[in-house]
Amino acid sequence: MSMRSQVYEWANLAPSGSTSSLRRGTSDQPVFVTNNREYDVFIGGIGNNITKPAETTATQFIVIEDIAATPYLGGAVQIRINTTDYFQNPDVTDQAGIPGLASPYPRGSASTNGGTDAGDNLLKSFDLYPDVYVLPGQVFQILFSLRTATSDTDTEVVACFVKYTLYDGPDALIANKLLELGVTINPNNVDWYKRTLIEQQTRSRVAAQAANGGSA
Amino acid sequence: MSMRSQIYEWTGSRTDTGANALAAADAGNRISIFIGGKGNNITKPAETTATQFVVIEDVATTPSAFVSGLDGGTYRGQTVASGVAGPRSYVQVRINTTDYFLDPDNVGNDGIPGSASPYPRSINFQPSFNLYPDVYVLPGQVFDVLVTFFNGAAFADMRCFVKYTLYDGPDALIANKLLEMGISINPGNVDWYKRTLIQSQAPAMA
Repeated sequence: MSMRSQVYEWANLAPSGSTSSLRRGTSDQPVFVTNNREYDVFIGGIGNNITKPAETTATQFIVIEDIAATPYLGGAVQIRINTTDYFQNPDVTDQAGIPGLASPYPRGSASTNGGTDAGDNLLKSFDLYPDVYVLPGQVFQILFSLRTATSDTDTEVVACFVKYTLYDGPDALIANKLLELGVTINPNNVDWYKRTLIEQQTRSRVAAQAANGGSA
Repeated sequence: MSMRSQIYEWTGSRTDTGANALAAADAGNRISIFIGGKGNNITKPAETTATQFVVIEDVATTPSAFVSGLDGGTYRGQTVASGVAGPRSYVQVRINTTDYFLDPDNVGNDGIPGSASPYPRSINFQPSFNLYPDVYVLPGQVFDVLVTFFNGAAFADMRCFVKYTLYDGPDALIANKLLEMGISINPGNVDWYKRTLIQSQAPAMA
């Protein structure tokens, strides 16, 4: 039973001689990232990865609250739930997703790689609201792409960032209930639902006592 | 009986509390900012007594920027190595033996990147991350804040920052009560609970 704020940071850094690793290391070097290809930041085989595709169990519910990416080289980030891309063009065709220029990571970074112009500090133009829900049993991917490939002769690092809240156990059941009710899923509303349940139980107990002539 | 806003700042280069300064050899190791033996430390592990309740509201560490072609130089005041300007640091919260931040495969990770929750904040480094919901440390629990950095060439100015509220005595009891009721624990809600108690006693007092 919990609600936990979680983050995942990906960068094209891996130990020398390999393209990906499960743990960050002190000898990590930038790995070449080709252009116009979507890399799954969890299991894409580039940079830091995890052991299996990101998915929710039957007792988990995930709410993705923020995504951000490197602003230069045409960096962009897309969310895929099962096989469906979240961000689409108005003609319902595929697109790369949120540009890093609109949601930069790190926030305040320069618009060009290594840019040193005074005042060149990007702020976010994009806020992921409403949030993206990953329902129990769904697989989700965060796809990072570049319009221009990284240099294969230089140390060019690109990165991607995801912030989400993981609801587990009873809190995931409450999240499902809120979804049915059409109420936004956030920690405040989950707490509100719990309080409502407790108040209902209290009222029922008092009513039962009254019906029994004051005895429990 | 009190609610007190508290902070703890850790600086890797400090040696005034008897610990050693952070070294390049520490890269890749998880270091407790309280009792890790590096930088400024405290005398014993951080823990709550039976009459205390701690709510951790923010964690932050030294940020890094991602660049290219500047290895060995500096970028925005940070030393560059392997395309990363800064220590490439992360901060994890541990309650008893459980890491708070996990990867989607449920494996504990390094924690919040300094680039997402920078300390200090600046125009160059602004937060992408807000620790909400807060992290609760219940009475009797041990907690730790662990930093890890991976850039052994740029750790000289490594810092970490934790902001928490300490509820003590009756206020800790109220915090526990709010937790049972599913209400967020913050000073406003603790005060609200106290007012409710006073109001419920008022008719009897009159």
